[in-house]
Amino acid sequence: MTIKVSRRVFGAGIVATGLVGTSGTSFAQGTPRRGGTLVATWGGGEPQACYVPAGGGSSPTFSSSKLFERLALRRMDGKFEGVLAESWKPSADFKSYTVKIRRGVKFHDGKDMTVDDVVYSVTDIWKKYAVASALTDFAGIEAPDADTVVFKYNNPTPEFFFASTLCSPVAYIVPKHVYAGSDPVTNPANNAPIATGPWKFKEWVRGSHFEYVKNENYWKKDEPYLDRLIIRYVRDPAGRAAAMEAGDIHIGVFNPVAPPDIKRLTATGKFVATPKGYEEAVWSTTLECNMRNPVFAKREVRQAIFNAVNRDFIAKTVYYGYARPGTSPIYSPNKEFFTADTFKTPFDPKKAAALLDAAGFPKKADGKRFTLNLLSAGWFQENGKVGAYVKQALEDVGIGINLTVPDRPSSIKRIYTDYDFDLAISNQANPSEPVPSTTQYFTTDGILKGVPFRNASGYSNPDVDKLVASIKVETDPAKRKALVFEFQKIITQEAPLLPLVELESITLASTKVQNHSNDPNFLAASWGDLWLAS
Amino acid sequence: MQRFEFLGRFSRNRGALVGACLILVVALMAAFASVFFPTDPLRIVGMPELWPGEDPEFPLGTDSLGRDILSMIVHGARATLLIGLFASAVATLIGVSVGAAAGYFGGWVDEIGMRVAELFQTIPNLIFVLTIVVILGSTLTNIVIAIGIVSWTPIARMTRAEFLSLRDREFVQACRSMGMSDLRIIVSEILPNALPPVIVLSSLVVAGAILFESAVSFLGLGDPNVASWGRLVGDGRQLIRSSWYICAIPGIAIMITVLCLNLVGDGLNDALNPKLRDR
Repeated sequence: MTIKVSRRVFGAGIVATGLVGTSGTSFAQGTPRRGGTLVATWGGGEPQACYVPAGGGSSPTFSSSKLFERLALRRMDGKFEGVLAESWKPSADFKSYTVKIRRGVKFHDGKDMTVDDVVYSVTDIWKKYAVASALTDFAGIEAPDADTVVFKYNNPTPEFFFASTLCSPVAYIVPKHVYAGSDPVTNPANNAPIATGPWKFKEWVRGSHFEYVKNENYWKKDEPYLDRLIIRYVRDPAGRAAAMEAGDIHIGVFNPVAPPDIKRLTATGKFVATPKGYEEAVWSTTLECNMRNPVFAKREVRQAIFNAVNRDFIAKTVYYGYARPGTSPIYSPNKEFFTADTFKTPFDPKKAAALLDAAGFPKKADGKRFTLNLLSAGWFQENGKVGAYVKQALEDVGIGINLTVPDRPSSIKRIYTDYDFDLAISNQANPSEPVPSTTQYFTTDGILKGVPFRNASGYSNPDVDKLVASIKVETDPAKRKALVFEFQKIITQEAPLLPLVELESITLASTKVQNHSNDPNFLAASWGDLWLAS
Repeated sequence: MQRFEFLGRFSRNRGALVGACLILVVALMAAFASVFFPTDPLRIVGMPELWPGEDPEFPLGTDSLGRDILSMIVHGARATLLIGLFASAVATLIGVSVGAAAGYFGGWVDEIGMRVAELFQTIPNLIFVLTIVVILGSTLTNIVIAIGIVSWTPIARMTRAEFLSLRDREFVQACRSMGMSDLRIIVSEILPNALPPVIVLSSLVVAGAILFESAVSFLGLGDPNVASWGRLVGDGRQLIRSSWYICAIPGIAIMITVLCLNLVGDGLNDALNPKLRDR
């Protein structure tokens, strides 16, 4: 659940991942049929608000991305495509980018979208909340004429990084006339957004669903094909499976049902399951150490924690094989930046015990070295099971564990605001571009109290900060890659936060739903092009 | 002699006898859980989702993580009974104190005590329990306190009614004229006479507390460090279409225990309620 936030940036590279690319299946046949209501759900809970300016996790990203639009998006083939921007090009020194804004776009309340809205969104929403960590070098934005804006940076900014920022899932263009003069975080419009996308907000029945209706004035001809889009929240995977089976829900993204039900439902021939559509948002289940606890001062202690845990067991048992052990903060489907050449913390309880002994934590008379509070974020049911296993694994090496599995709001508060944990099991989703979505979990500027899915461990290392700063400004792709490899080596050895497993996300859809899973981050796509076969 | 009379009356109710025997079995299970299954019941010990009987080592099968269901049921009996008994003790303590004071003193004490009780009665119990648990955190102690807090009102009303009918009897007046203190009259004179129906009610609160705890655990707010039956049902719910036994086994255990506690409550009522004597 989580995370969402992070995906925000994506960047780069190549999109192709191991999951994709193999089959030529596309989920569209024939000409689009107009009309109809699509009911969708996802494998998590209801968001805290329909739109959260700072991201706020996948749940608000899912609900807001159907209403709001970004300047650009990344296609399945890895190329960038303009949405509210028509084109962009860097200056010779890479310190400024000129962006042409699409004309004739109207907000849902009938007002024109202008460069003023773009300037406002970038300075007041992006820079302050949505993609703040991608805009640390940002020097300002100007609008020289009615369809042009110029982004200015203090340092050279790689083109790929810039385009990735435009494509960040929460880097929306919001209406200035609604947000100006208010605190965007608490603006009531966040729960009934006015935006430019193919869907117009109609109502939010809390505890049940969002209802969106077709935007008749949408700038893209013909879209959306459907008349209505309902996003329904069902707390329980078994309940989602039953609703899909009954035909009440047509599509579920991000693991809507339990693995045994995926097999059962696809066997009926009425449903298809696909891992496509998650290439720019690869999820993981992570374990992080709260550096504020002096026990974790030595990195050997942190390594020992990871040595004590059998990640393969988690992948096979908790996730029924729809996961693989994580080895690096950059995930293995990332062809651009992933390296296997990292510091390894394989499952080895004896080594873990030896490391803890050497670090000055021998077993005491009660058989325990020390006792930790393990918080497993309750937004995914699997997290509770991972927590139960991690508790056992750590108790086996003599670490006492008090496990808590709070609900979503309490988990977010305790991990990212109160820092009230010693070890936390959370989740994140990252795009190919590591800056800032991956790096902000490790850099000092990622320590933002109260902002979810950032550096909650409190890890702060000047070497890492410097390295990330150089990754940010390196415009030569080969050199940049080498720097990212080095980042992975340091982080895996330092181990403040590491993925336990990388998740293979699944979309389950009725065979009637056409054109789905056609975006490398399908959960955050606009869904204007979806249609229902009769 | 009187004791045998009591047992005789109790066992005249066959259902109560069966209930008491089964409760005894559950209590023994709880008492000797660590003897039968010395390791932590939440340990992963085998393949996940083994059906009952599939592997003789795990007669009731394993759950979705590979934990032994039999071991969790036996250890869960301990957690479940402890929660029931302590929650009932908390509820009885609060209920008898409030009820006795209200019934004995009357006047504004009665007024305040009963208004507070009504306030508690108007709040849906389960929601109140969940709220308390979410605010205080999901630990065993907090769950016990939360259940005790929502369950004391019927006991308070019952105690008050008994006190009202007893406080002006001759033997109480005799005590008063002897100069006995209020506290002594309440504790040593009236309470023993008021207690039988309260005991019956307390035994029913135990059953109610088990159901509350199951609901809390089912919703994922139970203490994750403790094996309780409700939690087992909650964990298995996701797999209800494929491995229904994970929900069914602890569900049956809860059902039998609660049913037996109710039967025992009926038996106690027969045995303790003088009006029904020799019915």
